[in-house]
Parts: sequence; structure tokens; C-alpha cells
Amino acid sequence: MRFFTIFLLALFCFPWCVCPATAQEQAPSTADPAQKLVLKEALMSERVENLTPVNSGVVFPVSSGQVCCFTSFDPVPQHTIIYHRWFRRDELSTQTRLRLYPSKWATYSVIQLRETDKGPWRVEIIDQNGRVFDVLRFSITD
Amino acid sequence: MSRFLSFLSSIRWQDIVDILINSYILLRIYVLFQGTNAFRVLVGITSLWLAQEVAASIGLILTSWAIRGITAVAAVIIIVVFRNEIRSALQARNIKTFLWGFPNRERQTPVDLIADSVFQMARKRLGALIVFPGNQDLGEVTHGGIPWNGQVSNEMLMSVFWKNGPVHDGAAIIDGERITEVGVLLPLSHRQDLPSDYGTRHRAAAGLAEESDALVVVVSEERGAVSVAKGRSLTQMADSAMLSWALKKHLNMPDISPARRRERERLKLATAGCVSFLVMAGIWFSFTRSQDTITALNVPIEYVNRPANYDILDTSVDEARLQLVGSSALIKSLAPGQVGVRVDLSKAAEGRNSFPITQADIILPPGVSLNRIQPATIDVTLDLPATRDVAVQVDWVGRLPENTALSQVSVSPETVKVIGGSKTLEKTATVYTSPVRLDSLPKSGSTTAQIVLSPPSLKLAPSCPDRVIVQYRLEEKKPSEKK
Repeated sequence: MRFFTIFLLALFCFPWCVCPATAQEQAPSTADPAQKLVLKEALMSERVENLTPVNSGVVFPVSSGQVCCFTSFDPVPQHTIIYHRWFRRDELSTQTRLRLYPSKWATYSVIQLRETDKGPWRVEIIDQNGRVFDVLRFSITD
Repeated sequence: MSRFLSFLSSIRWQDIVDILINSYILLRIYVLFQGTNAFRVLVGITSLWLAQEVAASIGLILTSWAIRGITAVAAVIIIVVFRNEIRSALQARNIKTFLWGFPNRERQTPVDLIADSVFQMARKRLGALIVFPGNQDLGEVTHGGIPWNGQVSNEMLMSVFWKNGPVHDGAAIIDGERITEVGVLLPLSHRQDLPSDYGTRHRAAAGLAEESDALVVVVSEERGAVSVAKGRSLTQMADSAMLSWALKKHLNMPDISPARRRERERLKLATAGCVSFLVMAGIWFSFTRSQDTITALNVPIEYVNRPANYDILDTSVDEARLQLVGSSALIKSLAPGQVGVRVDLSKAAEGRNSFPITQADIILPPGVSLNRIQPATIDVTLDLPATRDVAVQVDWVGRLPENTALSQVSVSPETVKVIGGSKTLEKTATVYTSPVRLDSLPKSGSTTAQIVLSPPSLKLAPSCPDRVIVQYRLEEKKPSEKK
């Protein structure tokens, strides 16, 4: 019985500990499942500190070392999977799978920058059905 | 034997026609120029050319160069020196005569009648000067003639040279069976070795004979003697038979029956025709059948019969490398338009198609054959043309000023209509502008940028501008936001 209780606790805590590149903002689970998932905010930033994007913009120097795609959803009716698909010049570079939890959730993905990453980029924010919430466009420069 | 049979089977009907046409051209050159000095010089030049080829083939460098130079100079010289003969040979009365007429057959001069008339005039002490042209045009050396164009007869000749006649002092020109001109003035000879009793009439006969290949019959008014001037000789004729013989020799009329003469002419022509054919066949085979040279050419590939609905999206190669074999003369004379690779797309379908390049796809001039081709297969991707709205994104480059952030950018129009292959458009979500430098942005504002389409097969719809307006906002980074 004790092992079963620990197992349930571990299952409950799973989303908070498996995605090191993401951060979450939790609220009491009061959202109505009939509501639609809404993207409240999406922007590119140099970093995210305390779930707050820092130095947001559309151009990032490669010297900044990293760039983040910050997204905030409100409401989140139910547990949902979304993806951040990073494209460099129409070529898919990376895709990050992120979890959203009711009733609102903020999360972000991050890529480390190299010299060869310079150029125009875009990040598509989509759900698991391919619905596109937003497309963010930015450039990595000198 | 099997080699000989395979060789025979490789001869195309075009090759036979080729040889026949050129043999006929050679035969016509012989027919038009035979008997002229120019023809003899032409034969000499041809011999020189053959000698040069032999010298070159056995490696006599200096001899080959020397003969080539002599041949080139000689070719120019004969055109200048024998211009009158060449002009006479080529001046045909009509195209039929030029293409298949035989000049000797047309000449039916009544030689015996003329010889009898001449001696009759001699007996009556009527001075006369009668010119029988050879192959050379006399227009350059004679002048002052009156066109006559009368049928040759005893009475006609008598009346032309009758003492009180207005044209009796000049010469009459007989061409074939007609007196073409009368009262013609001939050039006088300046020779010192002519007998002192020869007057102006004899000097005129000698003068024309020296300057042309014509034969001139002169009748002395004082002595009643008949002489014939030909070349540098002036020979007195004993009787009409002797004159008749001299005229027949000059007019290429051997003293045989007309039937026998025609037969001999036919035999001569048949021999000339056979020789022409053999010479041309030899030249043709040496030019086209020798396989002593190999060369490689890069040839652009031409795609034909493309299905109407499709566009060519991509090809694995744009040109093929052909290794060709043939005689050195043919290989050296290859022109770019003579060789081609033509791939038939009539059976191509949407997507990627592979076509092996076969002999049937290669266009080669006769006598040149294909040894190898690279690549052996060509991939062609066909696609349906389509239109799609595609987002425009600015391609920022350079470096922003220190502590400055580009916080907002908007592009107008945000999307453009792009035309291209449907497969290409599926993969094209964004079109980019030409690079816009960040260093040159002093403050917030707007700029314009050119749209750059990639791949180049994509095109903007006619209604779309090729430049976009970029509005941007520059902000100073807040101290708290600094890293």
C-alpha cells in the first residue's frame, strides 16, 4: 500500500521534472475542459528568468549563446502536448515537445547557438493535431 | 567477308546520295572546264594538295608546309590569271546548260562549207578575217563588233567580206553554226618575226591568236592565200581539206561520222563519270569511315516533348559528356550545333523520372560515332505548376549597435503569391528578402528590401511587387534586462 502511494505521487510529479529545457507556471486546476486552449503570449528572448522572458526581440547575436521561445497559454482546459518546431531557412532544425497543464501554463524551449546558426529562423507553435497557434520569426546575426 | 558485309550494311542511303551529288559536281567541273588551261592548272593544284596530304601523313613537316603555301598562292593566281577562261566556262546561256548541258554537243559548225567558202573567197581575192573562239571569252580582247547572228552559208560569208561592204574590213566571229558578230576589231600583234609581206589583217589574226585560245582564218586580198593563226603559229593552208582539218581539230570535231563521234563523246563522259564517282567515293570514305580520332565534348541536354501540364522542376545534369570517334577531318570540323543530346519526356510522369541515354537520343553528324557517354542515366523531376501565398521574412545580417534591441518588425505585404512546381511550393513556407544590414539602421523607421526566390524555378505572381516595405522598431536595452 505504501509503494502504491509513492507510485501515485511520482506519477503526479512527473511533468515537473522531465523537461530540463522548460519551465512551468502552475495554477489551481479549475479550467473547464469544454474551453479552448488559447495562446496568450509568444515571443523570442535571449533567456527566461523566473518564467519571465528577458531581452525579447526579433534579432539575436550569436554571441548571446542561446535563444528561447517563450509561450504562455491561458486557459489550458486539459493536459495537452504542444510542440515548438524550430526552422532555419525552411529546414526543420529541432522540435521540442512540451506539456501544458490546466488551468494556465507557461513554458519555453531553448536552443544553443553556434556560428553556423546565423540566418533567418522561425518557430512554429503547434499542438499534436498540427494546429498552428503562432509562427515567430527572428534572425541570428553577428 | 563478314566484315565487308557489315561495312556494306553500315552504308546509308544518304551516303550514296552524298557521293552521287559530289561526283556529279566533279563531273560538271570537268565538263565545263575541259580543254581549258584553267582545267590543267586545276589538276595541277589538286595534285599539289594530294602531295601535301601525303607529305603531312608521313611526317614531312617542312615539305607539307611549303606545298600548302604554294597551293594557296597558286589557287589565288589561277583565279586572277585565268579569270576569262573561268568566266567563259561558267557563263552559261541558261541554268539548264550550266547544270546538265554539254558545250561540245552544241557546236555543229559547218566546217566543210566554211573551208570551201574561204578558198572561194581566196580565188576571188576577197580579203577575210574569220574568228573561231575557243573556250576563252573574247570580250576583253576584241571590240567594235556589230551583232549579226546569221546562219553560216557561202553567200552570207561572201556578202560580209565583199569589197564594198561596210563591215568587210573587220573580222567575223563564227560560233557554232552562226556568225555572231561582224566588223570586229582585233588586237594587232607586235611580233617582229612575222614576214614583211603580212599586212594589218595578218597582224590582227596573229594578235588575237596570241592573246586568246581562238583560231583565226585569214584570207590575203593581194596573194589569195589562206592562213590559220593559232597560238603563236601562223600556218598557210594548201587547200580546203587542210583548212577543214585544222578547223575540226580546233573545234574538237574529229574526222569521223557523227554517230561515231557521239558514241565516243558518250564513252568519254561515261569514263569521266566513273572516275568522278570513284574519286568522290574514295574521298568520302577516307573522310567519314576512318575512325582514327577520339574527342570528348560537353553537350547541353535538350528536353523535348514535355507533357503540357508539367514543369521541369529539377534535372540531375544539364549537360552530358560525349566521347566521339571519327576521322580527324570530321572531328576537327565539328560545329556545336551538329552534336546534341535530346531526351524525350513524352512518357515522363509527375515526380522523379530516370531516363537512360541511348544512341537514339544522340544527334551526330554522319561519319561520327559515339564511343561513350557520361552520365548513362539522367534524372528529371516533373511537377505540376501551382500558386501559393508565402510569408515574407527579412534576412537580417550584421550587428546591432551596443545596447540596442530590434524589438518589432513588420513586413508589407506580409505574404506574396509565388508560382512554381507544386512539390517545390509544398516545401516553401517562407521567402526571404535580400540581406538587410543592421549596422545601417540608425533609428526606428522603415526600409525596403528585394524578395529573393529560391530555388530560381520559383516566380512571383505578376501582381506581386518584388520589393517589400520593412518597418522596424529599435529600442535601447533596459539596464535590468542586460545579461
